[in-house]
Amino acid sequence: MKGKTWLFWGGLIAAAGGVLFQTSYDVQDLEEKLAGLNRKIILEQESIQVLKAEWSYLNDPTKLEQMAQAYLTLQPTEPRQYLAMDMIPMRPADAVPPPAQALPGKALPGAPLPPMVRAPGTGNSQLAAARVPAAPNNNAAAGIVPVSAQVGLAKPLPMEKALERAPVVVPASLPSGAALADPSRANRIKPAALVPGSARAPTEKSAAPVAPAAAGKLAPNAPTARPTELASRPIPAPAPAPKVAAAAPAAQQPYQPKPTDSLGLLVARLGANR
Amino acid sequence: MIGHDHGGPAGYGQPGASTGSTYVPPPAPSPFPQPAPQPSAKPRTSLAVALEQSRYRLMVTAAVVTTVFTAISVKLAMATLLAGGGEPRQHVALEVGDTTTNRADITDRNGNLLATSLVTQSLYADPKLVSRPEEAAQKLVGALPDLDYKDVLGKLSGDRRFVWLKRNLTPKQQAAVHRLGIPGVAFEREERRFYPAGPLTSHIVGFTGIDNNGLAGMEQGFNKRLTEEPGTPLQLSIDLRLQHVLKKELAATVQEFSAIGAAGIVFDVRNGEVLSMVSLPDFDPQDPTGLNPDTLFNRATLGVYEMGSTFKIFNSALAFDTGKIRVSDMFDAAHPVKIGRFTINDYHNLHRALTVAEVFQHSSNLGSVRMVQQVGVAAQKAFMTKMGFTKPTGLELPESGWPLVPNPWREVNSYTISFGHGISVSPMHTVAAAASVINGGLFHKPTLLKRQPDGEVPTEQVVSRQTSDMMRRMFRFVVTEGTGKSAEVKGYVVGGKTGTADKQKGKHYQKNSRMSSFLGAFPMNDPRYIVYVLVDEPQATAKTYGYATGGWVAAPAVGRIVKQIGPLLNVPVVDENTPEILNSTYLNAAGSTNWQQSLPPVTAPPPAKGSTVASFPTQTKPR
Repeated sequence: MKGKTWLFWGGLIAAAGGVLFQTSYDVQDLEEKLAGLNRKIILEQESIQVLKAEWSYLNDPTKLEQMAQAYLTLQPTEPRQYLAMDMIPMRPADAVPPPAQALPGKALPGAPLPPMVRAPGTGNSQLAAARVPAAPNNNAAAGIVPVSAQVGLAKPLPMEKALERAPVVVPASLPSGAALADPSRANRIKPAALVPGSARAPTEKSAAPVAPAAAGKLAPNAPTARPTELASRPIPAPAPAPKVAAAAPAAQQPYQPKPTDSLGLLVARLGANR
Repeated sequence: MIGHDHGGPAGYGQPGASTGSTYVPPPAPSPFPQPAPQPSAKPRTSLAVALEQSRYRLMVTAAVVTTVFTAISVKLAMATLLAGGGEPRQHVALEVGDTTTNRADITDRNGNLLATSLVTQSLYADPKLVSRPEEAAQKLVGALPDLDYKDVLGKLSGDRRFVWLKRNLTPKQQAAVHRLGIPGVAFEREERRFYPAGPLTSHIVGFTGIDNNGLAGMEQGFNKRLTEEPGTPLQLSIDLRLQHVLKKELAATVQEFSAIGAAGIVFDVRNGEVLSMVSLPDFDPQDPTGLNPDTLFNRATLGVYEMGSTFKIFNSALAFDTGKIRVSDMFDAAHPVKIGRFTINDYHNLHRALTVAEVFQHSSNLGSVRMVQQVGVAAQKAFMTKMGFTKPTGLELPESGWPLVPNPWREVNSYTISFGHGISVSPMHTVAAAASVINGGLFHKPTLLKRQPDGEVPTEQVVSRQTSDMMRRMFRFVVTEGTGKSAEVKGYVVGGKTGTADKQKGKHYQKNSRMSSFLGAFPMNDPRYIVYVLVDEPQATAKTYGYATGGWVAAPAVGRIVKQIGPLLNVPVVDENTPEILNSTYLNAAGSTNWQQSLPPVTAPPPAKGSTVASFPTQTKPR
């Protein structure tokens, strides 16, 4: 009995000793790991500090200005280029005429540029021309080819930028004005099926005198699936076909902001189109 | 006990002594019968002695053992219970915000670093461990081209155990040397102060010595704070972009007019923050001693100058604030003022009486003197003290100049002070005081530390709101129709006051060395910022028709600066001719603030600009 007690206590002590031993080594391991981590943290902090200093050094306004003068065509801003937010009027419904949809061969080559657009360099048309063949469907892209054919479309630059950003997103089979006016194409969408009669009636009425070709076949403002969706992209193919037809002659004369066109007047006052 | 077991005589053994391990032998049978008391007496004596001895020995032993064990127990208890569990070392994970450096960063108000401590590695060698010095030296020079081969070779083949090869390597250099793998060459961690903005903020931030102790600027002024809280950066009120604009324009002005120096300040009149402060020439804080020691002189805070006509701001404010003088009051500006040996005259005498507005517009010395004659010496002294012109500005920089104030303040002093001579203050004094004149009369102590957005700004009302309102109109009037026309920037409603002071060399005023300055503020309908430019000894050019006065030298610079910093400071552009703006800024020469009357000026059109020099005839000695 006595021996067993001794054995029990002895075993317990041995087990405790073993566990303690193991724990102590575990702790040592962990401590070493922690010390290593701390060293790494210090190293990282030091390199972050170096990077911060370098960032500040490179951001020295004196250097930045020299580089901007050397490599950019930007000028120092002037007070007249700044405007308080509340001085900008809300955009009226008809303030900005829709971008002129130039049918191939219709627009003049020398049509002036709208405001806010820098005079395009000679390389622009080449760029556009080079990019258009990359589109998957050349034939279908004929509707937007006027851009590359230098017909003096209203907005060559945004178009080019859109192509630059996402050449794939721009569908080659974009419904151009001509395509929209195409009855066979318009036939595919049945406004009657999509638009309730009450909503459709006024649009039909307003569209009828302007563009008889499209009237009745296509409800421009109807929430149809594809044409509007595509046309809402920054492509010179706006959804309302009647408006396109109405604006086509407007593109042939220099853009003058109308007295009602507050945004256009603002832009002209700021001198952005100079 | 043993004794008892053996049945010894009970009287021999003492129970107290028998506790030890003493062996008491039984008494040997004696062959001779001995007298009864003797056998008992004799063994008793020897035994008692032995027992006594051993008893003492035992006690000593016990005492020693007890002492030692007690000491061990106490130490054990102290080590285990009182010394924090007896862990030899504790490993604690680093805090995120901790910094490894011993000196805090200094940043501008937007968080751009102006000064930071970088941990660098310095290269040293133990020549005993370098086996082939020639090869090692060749390799080192290859990696660090600015080292000299012979020098390195000499160091590496010497007898010493430690030589510095190069201090403060860049990380790239360190990697290059590390890659060489030369035995006996090692790195030592050191800290180095680094100024990313370089000379742009050198006069504000200052610099440190080799042991990273601040020797100038904020580095010195906040040395204790920077070393005690290395984790939190010290944020200044300076804006690096404004600093750049200011320095660029000042440098252009200095070059154009071949001046010897310039100072500029951009000041927030609403809370006393110094947004930008430049003093030219400046220095490179990485190498402050490498250049001309004159570059270390801070003209904006340490230099005290006679401010010239800029002081007419305070003269006019004093006149309005006493209530004795109104803006339409007329003062004679035709006849020179004679006091004692001195004669005070105007640079361009208009030979007629002027209103207060015209005195300010044409910067007439005579008119100013007549005004202060009416106000009195004591009032002027009290006012100038209130404006802070009798003690340093309280800016945090150690380089803060003491103004030179006349003592005693006599009548002649009051005359000259009225147009800015005879009292020398620093540009910072002038700007802080002018801010209080136009911001509604609240004096804010200038500061270089960014104010907390919700913090209380210590203020002191020094002039009345009505005075301040009139001073705004006067400022604006100088720019629309006075000497400061070239400071006008369309849209920002600039106002200001020119100043030109002849410099005193020895006892005489020099004719052709002046301090030309312009104190501009914008927008005057609701002043927010003061832009101050002071040019030291500008030389007239053909373009300025021979003038080197404040209106020709400093005012255009202020205009250019306002034009560039206005957008950066989010100051809205307004049309100056709208009724709201005119209501708060209009003033005409007759002293009328009613712009709707749009009266024709009651006087002839102002003469050519640049007529702002407050000058003495050369033969006089003003002091």
